[in-house]
Amino acid sequence: MLKIDGINASYGSIRVLKKVSLKVPAGKVVSIIGANGAGKSTLLKSISGLMKNSTGRILYKDRNIVGIPANRIVGLGISQVPEGRQIFAHLTVRDNINLGAYHYFKRSNRLEIKERMRRVYQMFPILEKRSKQIAGTLSGGEQQMLAIGRALMGRPELLLLDEPSMGIAPLIVREIFNVIKQLNQSGTTVLLVEQNARAALKVAHHSYVLERGEIVLEGLAAELLDNPKVKEHYLGG
Amino acid sequence: MEKITLASQLLQYLITGLTVGSVYAMVAVGFNIIYNVTEIINFAQGEFVMLGGLIMVFMNVAMGLPLILAFLATIILVTLVGILMDRLAIRPIRRPSVLTLIIATIAVSILIKGTASFIWGKDPFDLPAFSGRNPITFLGAVVQPQYFWVIGFLIVTAVALSIFFDRTIIGKAMSACADNPNAASLVGINVKQMILLSFALSAAIGAVAGITVTPISLMEYDRGAMLAVKGFGAAILGGLGSFPGAILGGLIMGSIESFGAGLISSGYKDAFALIVLLVILFFKPSGLLGSIEISRIKRF
Ligand SMILES: Nc1ncnc2c1ncn2[C@@H]1O[C@H](COP(=O)(O)OP(=O)(O)OP(=O)(O)O)[C@@H](O)[C@H]1O
Ligand SMILES: [Mg+2]
Repeated sequence: MLKIDGINASYGSIRVLKKVSLKVPAGKVVSIIGANGAGKSTLLKSISGLMKNSTGRILYKDRNIVGIPANRIVGLGISQVPEGRQIFAHLTVRDNINLGAYHYFKRSNRLEIKERMRRVYQMFPILEKRSKQIAGTLSGGEQQMLAIGRALMGRPELLLLDEPSMGIAPLIVREIFNVIKQLNQSGTTVLLVEQNARAALKVAHHSYVLERGEIVLEGLAAELLDNPKVKEHYLGG
Repeated sequence: MEKITLASQLLQYLITGLTVGSVYAMVAVGFNIIYNVTEIINFAQGEFVMLGGLIMVFMNVAMGLPLILAFLATIILVTLVGILMDRLAIRPIRRPSVLTLIIATIAVSILIKGTASFIWGKDPFDLPAFSGRNPITFLGAVVQPQYFWVIGFLIVTAVALSIFFDRTIIGKAMSACADNPNAASLVGINVKQMILLSFALSAAIGAVAGITVTPISLMEYDRGAMLAVKGFGAAILGGLGSFPGAILGGLIMGSIESFGAGLISSGYKDAFALIVLLVILFFKPSGLLGSIEISRIKRF
């Protein structure tokens, strides 16, 4: 579904991604693990269109999407849950969720939007309870759920998740990972970036290790879990 | 008898104050629209008001267009100026920071003012009042019919805008841009288009203010700066970004000015409102209706 082919990205003169290539087959969960500053977020931003000066090819359904602005990429079926949630803090929970459907928000799509909203609320019942609350006053875990819910409203076929477990209690992390699994089972392809390597490798089919902007290791997630190097560097020995 | 004249005198000040205040409120609302989408303070906001007044005079008096046509044509033209301002002065800035953008708005305001003085000269222009100049006497106070037009238009713009921002997805999308432009583009919002729309909207509202106030106070090329200062004061007083705050702030500023001029001295009328502004900000830095919580997240 997604094929990244030698992508480079830099901030000013600092090169952050060096000829990164990877594949995300349809229907799978692929994870990228790596230390702070490895370039994981930059990679996701290159896909979603937020990172404007990346070069190389990103083929989504065989079409090169490098250079297409972020606000049009979401319409192709790629939704990103950005690092640090980035919800619309001054708007209500409900408005945030509605805005997730912005790119196809029309009267004629009203039923679809309602149905998707119902599914988001079913997945995260707490959001329904808080639907009139100002989003900035939600707890960190609730904000993460909102960010995921908002992305799901965008009709994603490919969901990009940037560190959904960051700063969240283990119990909620488990809930969120369960949702990721469910989503995948119902057909959504997922590209997941995580510091929490153990959780990421458990949910993924295939994994890549990113170090200083380069892919240094890749393989089946189950194999990487047993890889001595991965164990030492990313799973705490 | 003595008592009634004092009361009617005070009523007179109040009505005048609310009228002037309505204009400040419309300017403040214009500030807020752009601020809420971009966090920029648009110092050319007063020039939209001035242009509204002078273009209306041109359309209605010089060209002889009927009131409603002249009104619409003026709003369209001033809106166009707002759009051009965004396209030519704001969007081309390569690495926009809030500060460089604000400086750009100051440059634009100087440019607009210069152009206006070139076209219209330095004399003030008058515009016929919309429904004549026969004053109505109300509990001893003398009220120009035009006052009702000014206040009425404030109410109409306030209601229309609150529906737009609270009920429509485009309105929500505009607020989302201010909250988080990156996240806004991730859900498909074209942030540049929203900024353009904010300039267009606030230019249109500025034009409405200028058109309605010109029959009362005339209009000349350099009126914009003072209107911008008062409108900005009103926006700050009410809490930058809050529409109800802008309206409250504008009406308070106008009233203080009017009472100050009537009861103390008209020479210092511009100072009264600003002094009250400073005092209120000293006690409540986020403005009357601004929330402290939100003002902490904001850059200004
Ligand atoms: N806007 C920016 N301007 C300049 N440098 C940046 C910018 N964003 C990221 N960088 C730099 O690019 C490198 C990669 O950043 P990136 O956010 O992609 O890392 P990451 O792998 O997501 O890290 P983390 O796990 O901490 O989120 C870092 O060295 C970072 O300092
Ligand atoms: Mg990151």
